[in-house]
Amino acid sequence: MKQLDLLLDVLDALGRQSWREVEVFHKRGRSRTLRLEGDRPVTSFRQEEGWAVRAGDSRRSFFYTASGKPRPDSQWPEADGRGLRLPSARPIPNWAPPMDSNAPLLSETEASHLLRAIGAALADELPGSRLIRAYLEDGSSDQLLASSREVRAEVQQRAASLFVEAQATRRDGPSISMLLAEREARRFTPTSVARQLADRLLLLSRGSSPSKDRGQLLLSYGVMSPLIHALSPLWLGPEAATRARRLIDRQGRLASRHFSLVDDGRFPGGVLEAPVDGEGQPTRKITLVEEGVYRQPLVSWRQAGGDMKPSGCSRRFGWRDLPSAGPTHLYLNPNPNVSVGELLGGLSRGYYLLSTHGSVKIEDGFRRFAVPVSGFAIDGGRPTGSVTGVWLTGSISTFFKGILAAARDLTFMPLGGGMIGSPTVLVKGLELRQRS
Amino acid sequence: MPFSDIDAAAISRALSQIADRPDDLADAYFERLEEIELPPEGSEPGIRVRRESGLAIRLLRDGHTWLAGRDGIDNERFAEALRRVARALPSAPYPVPDLGRDVWLEPASAPEVQELPALFQKALRSYHGDIGTIPITVRRHRKWVRVVGSHLASSTEHEQFYSVAARMDGARYGGLFETLDATTIEQIASSVVRIRAAREAEVPESGPHSCVLGPSATAILLHEAVAHALEADILARGGHPEAAIGVQMASPLLSVFDDPTNGPKPVRRKADDEGHPTSRRCLLRRGVVEQPICDAAWARRSDLLLAGAGRRGDRHDAPGPRSSHLELIPGDETTADLLAEAEGGLYLPEVESGHLDPMTGELTLHFPYGRRIQDGTPGASVGPCAIHCHVTDLLTRVEAVGRESRSGGAGWCAKSGILMPVWATAPHIRLAEVEVYP
Repeated sequence: MKQLDLLLDVLDALGRQSWREVEVFHKRGRSRTLRLEGDRPVTSFRQEEGWAVRAGDSRRSFFYTASGKPRPDSQWPEADGRGLRLPSARPIPNWAPPMDSNAPLLSETEASHLLRAIGAALADELPGSRLIRAYLEDGSSDQLLASSREVRAEVQQRAASLFVEAQATRRDGPSISMLLAEREARRFTPTSVARQLADRLLLLSRGSSPSKDRGQLLLSYGVMSPLIHALSPLWLGPEAATRARRLIDRQGRLASRHFSLVDDGRFPGGVLEAPVDGEGQPTRKITLVEEGVYRQPLVSWRQAGGDMKPSGCSRRFGWRDLPSAGPTHLYLNPNPNVSVGELLGGLSRGYYLLSTHGSVKIEDGFRRFAVPVSGFAIDGGRPTGSVTGVWLTGSISTFFKGILAAARDLTFMPLGGGMIGSPTVLVKGLELRQRS
Repeated sequence: MPFSDIDAAAISRALSQIADRPDDLADAYFERLEEIELPPEGSEPGIRVRRESGLAIRLLRDGHTWLAGRDGIDNERFAEALRRVARALPSAPYPVPDLGRDVWLEPASAPEVQELPALFQKALRSYHGDIGTIPITVRRHRKWVRVVGSHLASSTEHEQFYSVAARMDGARYGGLFETLDATTIEQIASSVVRIRAAREAEVPESGPHSCVLGPSATAILLHEAVAHALEADILARGGHPEAAIGVQMASPLLSVFDDPTNGPKPVRRKADDEGHPTSRRCLLRRGVVEQPICDAAWARRSDLLLAGAGRRGDRHDAPGPRSSHLELIPGDETTADLLAEAEGGLYLPEVESGHLDPMTGELTLHFPYGRRIQDGTPGASVGPCAIHCHVTDLLTRVEAVGRESRSGGAGWCAKSGILMPVWATAPHIRLAEVEVYP
């Protein structure tokens, strides 16, 4: 029997019990993981299959999930007193599945070679340093959705993640970790990963800490993406517009004209690229901030209304999970005409900040932020020394309005279940301090 | 009881075909999980039921683990998982054991969960006046586990407990409970009210304070500072785990056990998630390390290490060394004595979250609120604060242990991103002059 027929059987069975709003979701996935920690490798072969039902009417509802294939004869729970509303089917724009959807998963041997190659490349880049932990996962999944409101959707996804933690030369020396995501594990390049680790370890172990300094700052994606993510309450949900309004100036601007923020569930080559979201609603590109002017927050069909258009942003992490609104590929628009080299060359005195070393603190009723960072001091367009143990702080409004330029090097980080991206940006008006 | 009808002998025979070297370890893990959740009022959909079952086949050879996890339990999945972890092609097809029926016969209901929000609101009103509605999430968790190895098979283990969580503006509450009786409900209401009120309270001044920790806070301190610090995989980051044995790492007043056989009744375990018998494991005796927390893989590496503390997040996770139920042996002091000797200090009854950095040994505990100790009793509330120091420094500052223990949930442990409930039986303790940060 086809998978869709199984879903329709469940829809029928619940329809016969007079449930007017019914949705059935089925997900099947497989993945290979390799975990290296010390000299105890763990190789896992995971096959997951499960399904979920949301059913209800205007007064009552329930959610039921189970492993295996959908079963119309399940023991449904007694619904309780909360109504349920499901989305109707909407036309889905043309969609060509990415070419790599059916590419084979990384083999056990390939996975092992990749992690060992990262370890070897790290030792070459920074003699004496070592990988403490590495965790590689490569997986694919098929999702199917059917609802009593004629939604029928099928999505294939492909994703790989790599977590690495490394330590500098001394056993009690500092350690750093990184989480990366790609559509396929084969896209992780050992030398690139090793260089990022080595750079951050070097900064952490050799950097100095200016007690307090200002000046122009170059912020790489490693600083910008966590900042954009931490400021999610300004982008996400119907209340976001109210919060953002407090930061908008008399000219109606939230940010400088170099700040354009976009969410795109169809971002070509993106890890979460898909034609529909977790509720079968079409994904699309939506501009949240356009050249500094706030347009609208990211809202799902349920939250949309007035001037706010829905964008197909209900994410469903697994078959056990309910859909929840969140960014897919949320990114600051790059400028294809500007290279990082040009921005760096034009920096007479300032800092080039590469990464954060802790979470971003949002303070003072969403007016200020602080985040521990590391990077390089720059003089005459050239690095003159490394800095670490410092906090980048400032008012959120100054940060937005102080963005002077964006480069072309858009790069994404997996944060909070979404992919958050940014190019390197040049910003003024912020401060570096030893403590927040 | 789930898994009582599986053919353990046939499973053992099948496993012995892939564990074909003398030192190989192979096992089959079967689990069934159920979670019934009542979300906060106003959330849709309403009651949420998650039911799942699955299996995993594991082969451990020369320190390398191969694991194949499958959602659902049937012969086909078993055979496929077996083939996946086998290191060589079999000379004959693997025997297919009878795994019984993988169906849920009971209705998916938990009336005690559905009744709790109304009882909680009533408790709020009765004991604390009209403070409005505080939305809570209530869950009942049930789990059945059976492990069959090539040499030994455990019987089915069963756990059941409840979790309650509340989110308020800028604060949160969470707790694990063995029952949802009137005492528990009052305890939840009391904690929630105190946490909410503490948002307005003055935070304690930064600096050294004498601190008395309540049993709940002591439980989390023990979990972070003793249990995590003595897990074999964490110890291995700094060298050989057995090297910790005999080291004085805490005040001589601390004798700590991990005893899954003696936790709250609904979560007691006779066997761990690797099928090994659990036991009363002495982690610290008078502050000296006696036996680290160890799973089968680490125990195979040293005669000094004992298996029996292997736990899995679920079938897709390899077992790892984790604690289940910690016990701190009570001391001589009454709670009144503990407080009297900490005049002007802080009474810290609960911990919101804790974290041990395994690389540096730095421990952080966040307290949602506290109370100033005035005239030998907990007085005015203070706002959220934290302790941040090296684990051995903190453990050597324990200067008195109370005589009355309380048993309960210590909370959810999230080591390596794998959530597990942990339990503890602990009395109050007093810490000498620890740095407290607002």
